[in-house]
Formats: sequence, C-alpha cells, structure tokens
Amino acid sequence: MKYTDSHEWIEQSEHVATVGVTEFAQKELGDIVYVELPKVGKTLRAGEAAAVLESTKAAADVYAPASGTILEVNPALAQTPELVNQSPEAQGWLFKIKLSNPLELDKLLDLNAYRNKVTH
Amino acid sequence: MPNLSKKTALYDRHSALGAKLVEFAGWMMPLQYRGIIPEHQAVRQRAGIFDVSHMGRINVEGTDAEKALDFLSTNKIAGKQGNSATYTVWCHPEGGAVDDVIIYKKDATHFFLIVNASNRQKDLDHLLANTKKFNIAVQDRYATDGILAVQGPQAVALAAPILPQVQEVPSMHFVETVYEGDSIILSGTGYTGAGGFEIYGPNAAIVKLWDRLTNAGIPPVGLGARDTLRLEMGYALYGHELSDAIAPVESVSAWTVKLNKPEFLGRSALQSLNQSPLKRSQHALVMVDKGIPREGYEVFQNGQKIGAITSGTQSPTLNQGIGIVLSKKPLQPEDIVEVQIRDHAAKAKVTTLPFIGAKK
Repeated sequence: MKYTDSHEWIEQSEHVATVGVTEFAQKELGDIVYVELPKVGKTLRAGEAAAVLESTKAAADVYAPASGTILEVNPALAQTPELVNQSPEAQGWLFKIKLSNPLELDKLLDLNAYRNKVTH
Repeated sequence: MPNLSKKTALYDRHSALGAKLVEFAGWMMPLQYRGIIPEHQAVRQRAGIFDVSHMGRINVEGTDAEKALDFLSTNKIAGKQGNSATYTVWCHPEGGAVDDVIIYKKDATHFFLIVNASNRQKDLDHLLANTKKFNIAVQDRYATDGILAVQGPQAVALAAPILPQVQEVPSMHFVETVYEGDSIILSGTGYTGAGGFEIYGPNAAIVKLWDRLTNAGIPPVGLGARDTLRLEMGYALYGHELSDAIAPVESVSAWTVKLNKPEFLGRSALQSLNQSPLKRSQHALVMVDKGIPREGYEVFQNGQKIGAITSGTQSPTLNQGIGIVLSKKPLQPEDIVEVQIRDHAAKAKVTTLPFIGAKK
C-alpha cells in the first residue's frame, strides 16, 4: 500500500489499484454522511479531484493518487457512507482505477514515510 | 506562530475530554467531543450541555433603558413582562443587520443582553453610539462571566437535583438565583428547539456547574451539533442568514420586525425595502436529489440563478440534505429549485420552517 500527502491510500494489484482514505483522514473529517463517487469510465490524472466525502460539517475532496480510468466504485457507500469511518482502509474503499502509468506509484509515500508525516 | 485565540474558563475541561478544538470568532471552542451526530441525537432525544461562554452579556440599566433598547430593536421591547426574554435583530440605519440578540427584562430599568461572539465589540460600540440621548448605564460582563446551555427534552429533569429552580422557569423567561454564593441567571432559552435552559454567571460558578451537570449524566456537546440543531429549526446564524448586507426583513428572522412600532433604528430603510423589487427572501430547502447544500452554493430555478445557500448541512434527524437559500425571487412551498453542487444541479424542494417539529 502507498500513501499520498493528501491522505489517500492506493493498493495495486497488477494494472488495477484500489483507492481509499486513511484512518488519519477519516478521524479528521468526522462522521461521513454522504460520499460522491466518480462515474465508471471516467479518466483521471494523478492529483485530480476524484470523489467527495461529506461530513455533517463540510465537504472534502479525495484526489486520484495515480492516473487512470475508473473501473468500479464501492456500491456499499451509497447506503452506508459510515463505512469510511468504520473501516477506511478495507470495507470503506472508494474506487478501483485501471492505472495508465503504474510507475507513478513509485513517487508516493510508503507506510513509514506517511506515518512520519501525520505524526509530525 | 503563537495561538492568540481566547479561551473560555472551561478550555481545560474540553481538552481533557479530548474535544476537537477549533477557532471560532477568535475563540478556541470545542467542535465535537464524540462526534456531531451522536451529540446532536443526545440533545434531540435526551439532553446535552454546551459551553457557549464565547457569547457575551451586557447589562443595560437606567431610567431610559427600556426606551433605548426598544429604539435599537426590530422587535417590541417596551411593555414586555418582567423577567422575560425577547429575540430581536439590531439594524444599521440603512437596514442591514448589526446582530441578532436576546434582550432580557428584569424590570423597566434593568435589562441585559446576550450577543454573538463575533459581534461582542461591534454591539457594544453600536449600543453606545446610538443611545447618547438616553439616560442609561452600559456595562459588559465579557471578562468575568460564562454561559452554559443545557438543552434537550430531559435537560430540566436531569438538572433539577443540582438546580431545583430550573423547574420554575417558563420558556422565554428567566429567574435570578444564587448558587453557592454566586449570583446566576437561569433562562428558558436556547438555540436547539429541543427545550431546556441556559445559565449565565461568573466563571467560577460556570465551571462548578459544568462539572456537576456533566457528572449528573448530561453529556458535553460541541459547536458542530449546535449548528446542525439550530439549522433543523431554521434559526438564523449571524454571518450566514443575517449580516451587515442582509436586512432582517429578507431573513428567517423577518418575524421580529414590528413596523407598527413608531420608531426604531433602521425602520424607514426596512419599510422602503419592503416595497422594493430588490428585496430578497429566505426559504427552507430540503434536497430531493442526493447531495448536501453548503453555504455559497448557487441556486437556480428553470435555469435562472435566483440566489445562494446561506447555511446547509445533512440533517441528522431527517437524514437528508437541508439548507436555507437567500433568493431574489419569492418562492412557495413545494416549488422545485436546483442547487449547484460542484459539477451537477441537484433538485431541492421549498418547504416551511422548522425542518422538524419543535419540542417545548
């Protein structure tokens, strides 16, 4: 698993990667009450706004950690957006993306680097 | 960078409870302790306690106190009962809102007000600048006093063993009492529509009462839930539904404006605005499509831009997006409008306030 400065995680399996937000991010956001997900088939560049997490208080953008095309979005989040709070790094995943340039992941943070970032 | 934000007397309690602290109007205040939704539901279903010591209290006394406050207020203050509380807006001569405040009348010559945190100094200046011809004495209690709001259908019952007098405070009235040597005021007011009361008093008493009321099983609630609770009732928040650029007759607080009063500051401006085609109005919106309206989102009807959202959230009670729109065009209940949420237009329906039924 790799991480971004903006608190997304991405897990690659061959040319497909799953994306979500980190435990740190869900804590900062508070109770998620609505998730706006990208349309399947949408093409995104790395760093582009891909989804929106809305808490009672505010709306927060989620950025694509890498470029590619959306293959699938988490269907459970329409009815149970709170999965993002309960299980941000497993059942609360947001979307799967077909990577157009898997080498982009090399530029992202590994777990230690990300942990360092959020604890300092 | 040093943090220059002010702290209430309860700041250490909030920190110890693990509250998420945020800057609000120059104060470090608890946004939430356990989470906005459980705190909101605690107040709707049972009870919760808020530290709102960032708000200010000003005493106004003297032979002209009633006349002076009536002159500043859109609502009628003259002739109110003793020990009553009245919600009102204060206007600039041009009609924009200076603040919305609650005016408490003890008797014809003794009043006090509770004002918004963001407007403490502005309200004092406005009060002094516009009442020079009246014989009054103005004294703020900003440095010495705090405020607690104990809200919810069971707030009074849970607090009664500690403050038995709360059982004798009717809605929009107050009593003065003494708590362990300190003079305090218990008031049947609040900002949640859930029932309950507020306490005004010196900081030492406020800290003691916070400890005892929380120990009695009344959970602390932060400003996040305070905002969702007030929005479900459609209560104005200064800086959103009211501002220097929004007149009370255009707002959800239009009902406070009593144009049949012979005179008050801003009266002629509000009277002209009422006749003007440029007068705007605020309406309650509930989302039909998915999405949550947020402050600043544009609102359209039949492709025409009619205004923007002044406050919006996901209602924890309705589990639906709700908001208030400031519209150039008058709207009717059941009208359909579109709220521009990022790259899509989401349908919303005009409804009446409050969004949920009030309990009291």
